Amino acid sequence: MSPQDTGTDQHVLTAPLETGAITKVRRLADNQPVTTAEKFKDYIRYTRGRGALEIGAILAVVIIGFVIASIASPAFPFLSANNLSGVISQSIPVLAILAIGVGILMIAGEFDLSLGASIGFSSITFIHVSNSFGWGWGVLAAIAAATGIALINGLIVVITGIPSFIATLGMAFFWTGASIFINGTAPALLRKGKDEALVTLFAGDFGFFRSQLVWMIVVGVVAWFFLHRHKLGNHIFAVGGNASAARAISINPLKVKLLSYALFGAMVGLASILISVRTSSMQPGSTEDYTLMAIAAAVVGGTSLLGGRGTIIGMIVGAALIRIIENGLILGKAPGFYIQLFVGLIIVVAAIFNKLMEGKAS
Amino acid sequence: MTINEDYLLRVEGITKKYGVNTVLDDVSFDIGKGEVVGLLGDNGAGKSTLVKIMSGVVAATAGDFSWDGTKHPHVNRALTESLGIETIFQDSALVPQMSISRNIFMGREITNRLGLMKIKEMDAITSEILDSVVTIEGIKSSKQLVSSLSGGQAQAVAIARAVHFKRSLLILDEPTSALAVRATEALLDYLRALKADGISSVLVTHNLHHAFEVCDRHIVMNHGRKILDVRREDTSVEELTAAVVEGELGIRRYRENATAA
Repeated sequence: MSPQDTGTDQHVLTAPLETGAITKVRRLADNQPVTTAEKFKDYIRYTRGRGALEIGAILAVVIIGFVIASIASPAFPFLSANNLSGVISQSIPVLAILAIGVGILMIAGEFDLSLGASIGFSSITFIHVSNSFGWGWGVLAAIAAATGIALINGLIVVITGIPSFIATLGMAFFWTGASIFINGTAPALLRKGKDEALVTLFAGDFGFFRSQLVWMIVVGVVAWFFLHRHKLGNHIFAVGGNASAARAISINPLKVKLLSYALFGAMVGLASILISVRTSSMQPGSTEDYTLMAIAAAVVGGTSLLGGRGTIIGMIVGAALIRIIENGLILGKAPGFYIQLFVGLIIVVAAIFNKLMEGKAS
Repeated sequence: MTINEDYLLRVEGITKKYGVNTVLDDVSFDIGKGEVVGLLGDNGAGKSTLVKIMSGVVAATAGDFSWDGTKHPHVNRALTESLGIETIFQDSALVPQMSISRNIFMGREITNRLGLMKIKEMDAITSEILDSVVTIEGIKSSKQLVSSLSGGQAQAVAIARAVHFKRSLLILDEPTSALAVRATEALLDYLRALKADGISSVLVTHNLHHAFEVCDRHIVMNHGRKILDVRREDTSVEELTAAVVEGELGIRRYRENATAA
């Protein structure tokens, strides 16, 4: 495939239509990768600039390090069932699902800083509706609430044209206030609406893994097919990458951005259900940290802050990396502020790394 | 005005006013089938407004728009899209973060009934398209990101896309201003080759030498008015330069000098 090995390749003589000169042209159509090895080589070469590979390698190194540490020392119980199921299999999926929502929105070129406030609002909706009408309605109401909030944010951004940073920052305060208005400041408790089926579905314990992990895989696969294989996913990349080029061939950037906001909202709704069922309660104003953690996970996973670039696998790996290192710090008995130091640092490092990757690609 | 009964696009009496400001004043011309027309003029001559009106992005204040013998009273982007007019702006034709193949099929993806893209088919067709465009050299794969292409390659990909989707009139806005000498030559060669397929192009440019080399006809704009509409064999780079730089006065002076000599 490289210019150096042309000797073995077929050459086709092609005459330019009018100039009359005859030039040697390598035909691309005859050089499609055929074997699995060639296809893999192609994949590595043309996806490397998109970031997921490098971050995956870093995750692998961290996991191998933790596994070795865990085997060597009983004081570092990384591999214990309790840690794998109780911590990692619960914390990674929620962040990964949020990162997928945030990531899709970032690829479309937008942000939503009201994510944390929206989790609070839709969790409270979920708990109150479940307690009054059963959890089936609660699930629907939570997803509808989060999607509705995201769509309102999206409409404000799309119609007024103000930057999503400032619009959604304002809305973050609004929805936290709205949660307190509906619920009061005391935590909402999931009591009557909680039964065995609900727990099995959203927080079931299956030994080494929990239901949340299944949700992450299902959401990941569906989101992958949507973003990387569906034409609407292609439009999201197009709009985030170069909105005027998309508009020039009759893709409507406003519709595509609203669609991205709606998908983001649905992810936030699902994540709030997972969080509420696990903890059985929700206090308004306690979920703000998720906003930056989810953006961090998406950025660490190679999603561009400028739009147009990102992968589902990268977003999941980014979430996993943050949560696993966080877990390692806790297991290693590091003081709590180390986690803040680490998350702060990793966002900046990842953003710089992304910028370098973008420079390399062009 | 050149009389051409076999025209593709005809605009008559196009006038565009922004408030009291007249940007275009009674502009009329034809573009023939398979013709390459140079649209020349200094900054502020009204070229970009004219391009926007022709591509349906901006509505004219007055004037008629006919396509292949049919008059269209309401011109918008949906109409020009269905007629096959494609405007290729210098920097905004492609999405740099996407592969060549995805750019070519952007908004026109080949999908199954669920809307999932047939990636292999799109890649294979892209390779064929790139192969058929002789001037696109040095591209290794249809999966290559557009950001890794040179300006000339990217421009050629954008044009190849328009050709593949059977666009009949390409409007190229300053296509050569960002290109290296070789890439410019390759692009101009390609535009000439398009004529054989019956595709018309309008080349909007500052660069008179490039325009003169490739265009069959030249239209020179000055302060919103058409001051020259002339076939290549009836003019020279010197006359076009005089028209662009000095307007009608320049044309008159050039012709007087030519007669005197």
